[in-house]
Amino acid sequence: MIPLKYNIRSLRTRWVSSLMTIIGTALVVWAVVLTFGLADGLDHTLEVSGEPLDLIVMRKGATAETNSIINESTAREMAALDGIASDAAGNKLCSPELVVVVNTARRAGDTNANMILRGVTPAAKEVRSNFHIVAGRENKPGVREAIASTQMANRFKGAGLDEELDVFGAPFKIVGLFEAGHSATESEVWTDLEVLGQTTKREGVRSAIQLRANSADDAQRMADRISSDEQFGLSALSEPVYFAEQAKSSRGIKAIGVFIAVILSIGAVFAVANTMYAAVASRAREIGTLRALGFNRRTILISFLLESLALCLAGGLLGCLAALPLNGMSTGTANWVTFSELAFTFRFGPTVQILAVSLVVVVGVIGGLFPALRATRMKIVDALREV
Amino acid sequence: MKFLPYILRNVQRNKLRSVFTGLSIAVSLFLVTVLYAYVNMQDEMGEGALKYARVVCTAKQGLTFPVPIAHVDKVKGMEGVKTVVPLAWFGGKYKDDKIPFAQFATDPDHCFEVFAEFTVPPDQLSNFQKDRTGCIVGEKIARKRQWKVGDKIVLKGDIYPVNLELTIDGIYTGPAGSDLEMLFYDYTYLDELLKQSRSQMAGNAGTMFIKAQTPEMMPDLMQRINARFANSEAPVRAMTEQAFRQMFTEMLGNIRVFIRNIAIIVVAALVCVAGNAMAMSLRERTREVAVLKAIGFSRFIVLTLVLIEAIVIAVIGGFLGVMAARLLFQFTDMSMIGIPGFSSFYVPVSTMLFSMLLAAAIGLASGIIPAWRAAQVSVVDGLRKVV
Amino acid sequence: MPAGSERAVVELRGVSKEYMRDKIRVPVLSNTNLDIPHGDFVAVMGPSGSGKSTLLNLAAGLDRPTTGTVTVAGTELNQLSESKLTRWRSQHLGFIFQLYNLMPVLTAFENVELPLLLTSLSRRQRAEHVETALRIVGLQERMDHFPRQLSGGQEQRVAIARALVNDPVLLLADEPTGNLDAAAAQEIMDLLQQLNEEFEKTIVMVTHDPRAARRARRMLHLEKGTFVETELDALEAAG
Repeated sequence: MIPLKYNIRSLRTRWVSSLMTIIGTALVVWAVVLTFGLADGLDHTLEVSGEPLDLIVMRKGATAETNSIINESTAREMAALDGIASDAAGNKLCSPELVVVVNTARRAGDTNANMILRGVTPAAKEVRSNFHIVAGRENKPGVREAIASTQMANRFKGAGLDEELDVFGAPFKIVGLFEAGHSATESEVWTDLEVLGQTTKREGVRSAIQLRANSADDAQRMADRISSDEQFGLSALSEPVYFAEQAKSSRGIKAIGVFIAVILSIGAVFAVANTMYAAVASRAREIGTLRALGFNRRTILISFLLESLALCLAGGLLGCLAALPLNGMSTGTANWVTFSELAFTFRFGPTVQILAVSLVVVVGVIGGLFPALRATRMKIVDALREV
Repeated sequence: MKFLPYILRNVQRNKLRSVFTGLSIAVSLFLVTVLYAYVNMQDEMGEGALKYARVVCTAKQGLTFPVPIAHVDKVKGMEGVKTVVPLAWFGGKYKDDKIPFAQFATDPDHCFEVFAEFTVPPDQLSNFQKDRTGCIVGEKIARKRQWKVGDKIVLKGDIYPVNLELTIDGIYTGPAGSDLEMLFYDYTYLDELLKQSRSQMAGNAGTMFIKAQTPEMMPDLMQRINARFANSEAPVRAMTEQAFRQMFTEMLGNIRVFIRNIAIIVVAALVCVAGNAMAMSLRERTREVAVLKAIGFSRFIVLTLVLIEAIVIAVIGGFLGVMAARLLFQFTDMSMIGIPGFSSFYVPVSTMLFSMLLAAAIGLASGIIPAWRAAQVSVVDGLRKVV
Repeated sequence: MPAGSERAVVELRGVSKEYMRDKIRVPVLSNTNLDIPHGDFVAVMGPSGSGKSTLLNLAAGLDRPTTGTVTVAGTELNQLSESKLTRWRSQHLGFIFQLYNLMPVLTAFENVELPLLLTSLSRRQRAEHVETALRIVGLQERMDHFPRQLSGGQEQRVAIARALVNDPVLLLADEPTGNLDAAAAQEIMDLLQQLNEEFEKTIVMVTHDPRAARRARRMLHLEKGTFVETELDALEAAG
């Protein structure tokens, strides 16, 4: 093997060229990592939102809570079903909820987006793991008070602590901020069920009911029971299934991400090939000497491929490092199922990292292959004569 | 420019390198062109919609709230209104479709007066107006799904708790760039089904599409419509069709900022890549540059020659990328990606010009440092230098 | 011919070499026979285009003859495949070039070590070999220097150390003094002579420089692809 330091030092000798190539690759990796960081964050949010023992009950045929209507009496019958878990105090974990979409101004820019305002009872917190108040206090029932997730507080005007949120002309005071383990719940503002019903002239209307089952068997049994009863006109979905459906929202971002990644990688391949061709050309005599000394073609090929890889990996590393400060940064996109904004954070998990590394490896190998092949095809006699 | 032949000769000197640099710029600017086309196309279509003089009315609280059907007749009598139709998004599922295509309940007698850019054969239109369960579909979607006049299709309700059984009575066509993938059917048919199933959603017009008598009358008309319903049970928000389209783009998140950031990254990467290629070319030509200066070329001319060479390569590359984007989307169907606004994708001329300017700027920026260094080459050192 | 009983290290039999230049056949060597016995030191001289470099390339297995056979250290080079030839070169040959051809990014030590990376020697064994080779050329003090930190003569001595380090049967030198001043050229020739006499290395050297050529045991003159042999008393030349 030709020692790697030969390649590294050669890269250092042509440092301007190497640096330009590294920066070029780094920028490409950065763009790709950011885009996939978006998709990964979105998927992660929807993935952690689904709890296997939880059921979401909606009107038959509805695919989202925002499209579902259940009347109060039917909702009450749900609470009487067998198999619902209870909390420590003996309350049934059955949460009737009213979802209203409010078009609200974003803090950034001059745009509006649909925000989910959820009317709940105390049971709602119990069927969502990791739900906790991080600032202020819980809202009192019967008054126009609301609590917002920290992400929504940062994203929407009027959703910050002690601010007033306008709900179709009625002001709701934000008295607390909550977090819920990065789940989709963090894209919502919560208030009292009855108050929201009155404010929006939807008294007695429920959008959906969330149930927690005692066991997986109970969950299955209840789901079958609810969905098969013609009188209810309802269907029950397990939460993971419900959110898996919504994960389609990330398809667009992923498609754009793949598009950007593929195109920019092709551009990067040409750039790397240029740099490596120049490297091979300027080192023709060195290559001839190595061959005369008895290094075979394959060794030369591998050596130049490694050099190209080193170049790209350095760029990849730089690009990933540059993306790190954005990890956890909050952003949002449309959830096309609920037709409202879904807040999530950039996430550079293992998937994104593996993707970035494979990207630079592919670029390095393809971009380096043809120059390296040229190096191996040089006639020793001619190469030695090169100036 | 008497130096042009020499510059072009230099561009061709290392053909592979020039081709690679050009291709790198081509594919990357292809990406930038496509991304910007998305934004510019929305703007252009919005502006284009202005001449149709259409005002869209939604519930003040947003799209998920109802607009009473009685509003339509009230608007009809207002001054400056040519005609008005209800337009309710059905969002039903056809066969195994994952993402619903556009299906609207509307007024068969007037909808093609509001959407005057579409044409339907007179016999098909009169059939549609007589057939309560009839529908008219766009030319593109009919071709894609191999529908012909007389076919029966079933749409399963998602938002609405009813299923539609429709007969295709006609196929509409329209000018290039218009949306030919919609389905229009009779609002009374939907309302009847909803009343039968005692749904609370009966009597909801969804939105109102209003054709004003002239575009100039729109601002005043919108104000009067808003005022007319401000104190009613269901206040509305009137906006231009352009603003209505914008609302959907905004829902995706801050697309413009995202696209601008990607473009900045790409341009920065390309400046590195192209600059590196120029620097490599000139390093191999140091002796030649020294000769030029020895025979009396001024620094300024040397500098200009190099800059123009860099610009020529970048502009050729940019042109390829821009044309590729333009032609690709003329012959591809983008509706399968399933993001609203992508179904009739095209690259506006303004985007093409913008990308070409970017290419020239990249060329200029990439040439500056190599050109400056070439201008600094000392004749004595340059002539002595052996790579 | 000296040292006749053993088989010659380099044996050319009926070797011709032609190149195609723009579809015209250019003969470089025609029907050449040559024997270089073990321990010989031959200087090949001749005007440009006489076939000197071609002769060297053929002996090194860098090029193949159009007709005839080249046998080096008992191996007929025509019989070897490309990859076997590469391997064979690394084990049996040492090269010395006009422009030294050191890797600019490697130190003197690392340059000399390069051929040993193709062997199965351990790291320590390699270091011993490298130090020995550098000691022979008198540069053990400079082993951590990069080529650009050395003078031309020193660079060439590193190159000679690199050629020696795998203990080759044959040293091939292409204008080893071509880029050096007179004093440095003297030193290099002293070194080559020492290698020939003390270490019994067989050396074939192509040169333009008559003073360098006189240090060899014998001189061969190539003219238009054929030999004009001139015996030389090496000792006399040295004196």
